[in-house]
Amino acid sequence: MIDSAQVATTQPPPLEAARARPGRGFWRQSWDELSANGAGLTAAGVLVFLILVAVTAPLTSHFVTHYVPTAQDLNDPFSKPSRIHWLGTDELGRDTFTRLVYGAQVTLGIGFLTVAIALTVGTAVALVAGYYGRLLDDVLMRVVDVVLAIPPVFLYILMSILFRPTAITLSVIIASVGWASLARLVRSEVLSLRTRDYMLATRSLGAGDLRLILRHLVPNALPLMIVAASLALAQVVLIEAALDFLGLGIQPPTASWGNMLSNAQVYFVHSTWLVVLPGTCIFITVLAANLFGNAIRDAFDPRLRGAA
Amino acid sequence: MAGYLARRLLWAIPVVFGVTLITFLLMHFTAGNYVPGLELNPNLKPSDVERIRENLGLDRPLIVQYLDWVGVGSIIQAVGLAGLLGGSHNIQPGLLEGNFGRSLIDGTPVLRDIIERLPNTIELTLTAIFLGAAISIPVGVVSALRRGSRLDQTVTAASVGGFAVPQFWLGLLLILLFSVQFHAWGLPWLPSGGATSPLGGGDVVDRLEHLVMPALVLAFFYLSTWSRFVRSSMIETLSQDYVRTARAKGMTDRRTVYVHALRNAVAPLVTLVGLELPGLVSGALVVEVVFGWPGIGLLAFQRAIQTDYTMVMGITTFAAILVVAGNLLADVLYAVVDPRVRYA
Repeated sequence: MIDSAQVATTQPPPLEAARARPGRGFWRQSWDELSANGAGLTAAGVLVFLILVAVTAPLTSHFVTHYVPTAQDLNDPFSKPSRIHWLGTDELGRDTFTRLVYGAQVTLGIGFLTVAIALTVGTAVALVAGYYGRLLDDVLMRVVDVVLAIPPVFLYILMSILFRPTAITLSVIIASVGWASLARLVRSEVLSLRTRDYMLATRSLGAGDLRLILRHLVPNALPLMIVAASLALAQVVLIEAALDFLGLGIQPPTASWGNMLSNAQVYFVHSTWLVVLPGTCIFITVLAANLFGNAIRDAFDPRLRGAA
Repeated sequence: MAGYLARRLLWAIPVVFGVTLITFLLMHFTAGNYVPGLELNPNLKPSDVERIRENLGLDRPLIVQYLDWVGVGSIIQAVGLAGLLGGSHNIQPGLLEGNFGRSLIDGTPVLRDIIERLPNTIELTLTAIFLGAAISIPVGVVSALRRGSRLDQTVTAASVGGFAVPQFWLGLLLILLFSVQFHAWGLPWLPSGGATSPLGGGDVVDRLEHLVMPALVLAFFYLSTWSRFVRSSMIETLSQDYVRTARAKGMTDRRTVYVHALRNAVAPLVTLVGLELPGLVSGALVVEVVFGWPGIGLLAFQRAIQTDYTMVMGITTFAAILVVAGNLLADVLYAVVDPRVRYA
């Protein structure tokens, strides 16, 4: 799901850096770094705005556009943008603006849910495999190899036939592929963290496996996980849109940006805007997610700190 | 190297085995004992339906069906132990014998359909990979050499933006511009779908006209990643000691950059390109669907919708085997290009 080349393995800040800036911890430093990043902040702003749009979709529909996303008006198909329909209507006379607003719910809802599932499963596998090592590691990593060997697009197709695609099943479907690359990434971090002195020290004080994993491995792997998750979001949005477009995702009449494009391709000779609008929404969302992910990565990567 | 190769090949066996198991189980739970149109056909008596199922081997236990499909069944039968498989059903050769089964829709051998479509898909992806490399290497090198310049900033912005463009959307927009609008404006226009024109097509020019848009969309996808990669790799290489040494010895800038640095900077790209090899078959699915390009992706997509399970199962397995082989090839290629990499 995520491009491993995009994510540099995050190391804890080197001692010299900590000495140079006394009194600022790693998280504080990262936060300062992030809030100084203009592009990252803008991207975060766009994401927050999109989340607001998604959450307030019913209010927009009720008070602003006065249309329900599935309400048809067969007397007024393909109308151009006007005062009544701000962004025109589609082939069934449905209000494009309202549908786009509701589409944000689908995109972001599935996006966040998928990342949450994939990250939870992937991290759990990575922690167990990386911490216990040996046979368990071999077996789990072989499972990861198998999942990554099957071209994801075929897995999506197979599973979309298996489960009736709803927002939740679709998240599970995309996450069932995505966990594997996250597991591989986080495991490599766990392997390096496992051998640190503080692990040995804590163990010699009598800490059990669970405590070592939850209190020491997880917090130290957290920066990498956050970076991976934020970059994965963009990928998930693209995958989900493609599945909707292929007719394997969210089914009409529920509006999603992907299935709006799927409909629009039939009529795009005379109704160009029906193609341009949903695609632009996907583009902006993915761009914002990517820029935000990059900003997070730069903020967490001490090797880039002060390089600017 | 030989030892490494042998070990990698050995590892590949359980991976391919796991792939067939996952595919089979998914298909089984998706399709179960379903044969499209069988129950709905009013001309068939229930006993006929039963007989057809038996002929297809769908009445057998799951594990036997799996072993048959993989091809272990026919091996067991060949050594005269068919009794182990619980009965005298008609055992066909399986994957191990190169038999991917038959389509549930038209009964053609799955492998024949795959091989028939394969050249189209490979033509599309190889063109895209070539275009991607041919554009991204010079772009990456130039923006590395003029780091921070307006050109570099533009390239960086473009590649960040490029990451965010959905392939199918870009495809639709290109069709809109080059097929629909160009046609409307009376300019020479490009065909919007297929690999050749239905009437009188098939010559080189006709094929190229059909190839250019889907290949560009696919290449665009590689461009963003690869040009960034070449840029950072080149910047890193230029800071190496041997580059400084070359300059200190009075070598011209041009020679330093294009003879000494370029090779080492581009070598790691081989791995990235190699990683795309497995995608030769599957990577183009969305693009093939948008442009109606008659490749493997379009085949898989259409057959999945028609619930032709054996076909989808066959294509998935075929593609997965290529992924495993492609990853192996990428590793080997990398070792060949970069002698610093040594496999113990």
